Amino acid sequence: MSGGIPHAEALAAWRARAPAPPQALPLPVPDLLERFHPDRQPGAIVPLRIGASAGLSCRAELAALLHSDSLVEDLDIAGAPLLEADVLVIGGGGAGCVAALTAARAGARVLLATKLRLGDSNTVMAEGGIQAAVGAEDSLQRHFEDTLRAGHFAADKALVAALVSDGPAVIRWLIQEGMSFDLAEGSERMGGTLLRKKPGGATAARLLSYRDFTGLEMMRALREAVLLAPGITLLDRHPALELLTDDRGRCAGAALHDLGQGRTVLARAGATVLATGGAGRLHIAGFPTSNHYGATADGLVLAYRLGAALREVDSFQYHPTGIAWPPSMEGQLVSEAARASGATLVNGLGERFVDELETRDVVAAAILREIAEGRGIAHGSGQGVFLDTPGLERAKPGILGKGLVTLTHLARRAGFDAAVEPFLVRPTLHYQNGGIAIDPEGWSGVPGLFCAGEVTGGLHGRNRMMGNALLELVAFGRRAGRAAAADARAERPRNIGLTHLADWRRALIAQGLPLTRKAPLVFPPYGNFDMATERGRAA
Amino acid sequence: MADNAATPPVRLVFEGHAIGAEAGSSLLQAWAAAGLPLTENVGCMGQGVCGACRVLVRRPGERLAGTALACETLAEEGMQVSFLDHFPARRPHAYDLHALTDSWTALDQIDAVFPEARNCRHCSGCDRACPKGIEVQRMVNLAAEGRAFSAAALFDHCVMCNLCVAACPEHIDPAHLGQFVRRMSAALTLRPADLISRLREIEQGGQPIDFEAPGANPPEAKAPAASPPAAGSQGRP
Repeated sequence: MSGGIPHAEALAAWRARAPAPPQALPLPVPDLLERFHPDRQPGAIVPLRIGASAGLSCRAELAALLHSDSLVEDLDIAGAPLLEADVLVIGGGGAGCVAALTAARAGARVLLATKLRLGDSNTVMAEGGIQAAVGAEDSLQRHFEDTLRAGHFAADKALVAALVSDGPAVIRWLIQEGMSFDLAEGSERMGGTLLRKKPGGATAARLLSYRDFTGLEMMRALREAVLLAPGITLLDRHPALELLTDDRGRCAGAALHDLGQGRTVLARAGATVLATGGAGRLHIAGFPTSNHYGATADGLVLAYRLGAALREVDSFQYHPTGIAWPPSMEGQLVSEAARASGATLVNGLGERFVDELETRDVVAAAILREIAEGRGIAHGSGQGVFLDTPGLERAKPGILGKGLVTLTHLARRAGFDAAVEPFLVRPTLHYQNGGIAIDPEGWSGVPGLFCAGEVTGGLHGRNRMMGNALLELVAFGRRAGRAAAADARAERPRNIGLTHLADWRRALIAQGLPLTRKAPLVFPPYGNFDMATERGRAA
Repeated sequence: MADNAATPPVRLVFEGHAIGAEAGSSLLQAWAAAGLPLTENVGCMGQGVCGACRVLVRRPGERLAGTALACETLAEEGMQVSFLDHFPARRPHAYDLHALTDSWTALDQIDAVFPEARNCRHCSGCDRACPKGIEVQRMVNLAAEGRAFSAAALFDHCVMCNLCVAACPEHIDPAHLGQFVRRMSAALTLRPADLISRLREIEQGGQPIDFEAPGANPPEAKAPAASPPAAGSQGRP
């Protein structure tokens, strides 16, 4: 990588050329991805050596966690306090809240356990919006095909069909829970039309939003709904350390760590919904992340150890526009809403270099190419390219103040005016495209274990479209919550314990893998809290 | 993170620990960089949308401490800082949004669920506590008059930190009142026609999905070989 073009020089080039004309990619998309996408670099991917998906390609950082031993021993659970529920939901983000609400309304007694605090999640940070095919010119079929194509045809068609078919009903459900949506200019609240934007890679304007903090608006409504719902018991600061099994291999709940009391608590449940979210805080390939503090892949580790299959765990999404400067805000997201509204990307020579509305993997790889080939912009220790927000404001006066509120605040906190100076951006680790394989009811293949949200795989193939994550967490939160409530009624676990760990440890030893490495991670290393040390399990 | 060896560290006291922070770092970054354990009071880490990292801050020369979010506040020389632990609202401001179907009784509902809202003593403690600069007290007063849309609009930027809940001597729970009027406004009055027609179309079977359509398969391979590996095991137990 070269040193890049100094910031002041790049600003001058940008001013001289503004507005820069569109510029097509000079090389074919497959070549671009092969050479510049972070997941295609040497050493990035290794095969899984044990478990239900042994042989599957996996990001090396994640494989290290999946190849680890448990933090829990039989001794820990022998005298531990026992909580009982019909349905245990692990994770207090969007998918967890939706699953808990759905299960509780189906008559289940629900325990909702979350590592941090109810609502602390990637959901609350989602800015751009939620996809649902409501436009007259749009259709479920188009949403279906757009999603498959954006994911390079690697997604499970049955899951994608379920996702897009639920779209309009999900929006109605959210409005019934008290979530607001933006309406088209001059439209009435009753009988009007929803404001629709076109997400990158889509053939129709399908992105519904609430300003540029759609996830916050969603999480506010969901959080109040969960706090007020009879039948949901909330456990803040209770990360899950291991799933429990019964003597037939059915998931029977989880061993939780009560951070406040520093002790193990067992949650026994007829069915369990895993909604633990993503893995951005693994900082894969050394990238900064836009994810919240708790995104440490805990759910993948737990489900895999219990026998669930994974898929596309070699595919992560690097959002093209993370903040590259100032360092105190590195990795935070500048919403795709900016590009969807028409903001362009400009390199150190003042030139555009990619169609900004290409899919995220392509735009991210194109930015990394500019930096690698010396056309990046150097500012302090960081490098990036410009996101031309002043150009957007000139083209659409007032948009920064009204439509892109979060973006405008972001610039102010970074110490500049987004209407005057462009953002310096660089890809940031944003989303886990793959995850636990599920069926359309959110079932993992392990009896009693359901999954919803970012922890699952199969919906996005190898690249997720903007707006399909918020849709997924509601659509599959409802599906998994409903299925878990029904499943808990039909079957109860008996003789619960950690029977699956004996086989797991045998497999680790057979593969020559150490028993000294413990997972889940629970908190990133810079949180200065090591769960293995805390529990006396450190190597 | 960049290391600015040139600039001397900022000295501050955080939860009783005297620490040095890199200039330009947020309070939350300063806490973690000092090697202190971070297992609560943290969420989005800088976006300022989750309201988890609430702190009391007092700067040199100030008599009173103010409230802030640690991810959005930069470390300053001589600051005294402590986390404000999260506390869930346990007071019985309970309602069932789904049962609220008659908008003529909206004001009665607000009165019934949040009776304390009428007792606002205009101390503006909530306004001072809000890290987002929301006119909390005005929202409370508007809601108490039944002006739901105006009240809801004022709470647009709320991040649910509950600092106003902690500040209110009348136990009004402004954050939850704000969410109540916002949720009620959406649930009772938002009825987009395009959404409603699409829902009707779907219910009548008018939006089928074709797995074998040309656009649903990779351009080169026409054969339906694109079906991905199935889940770990087949069928339900």
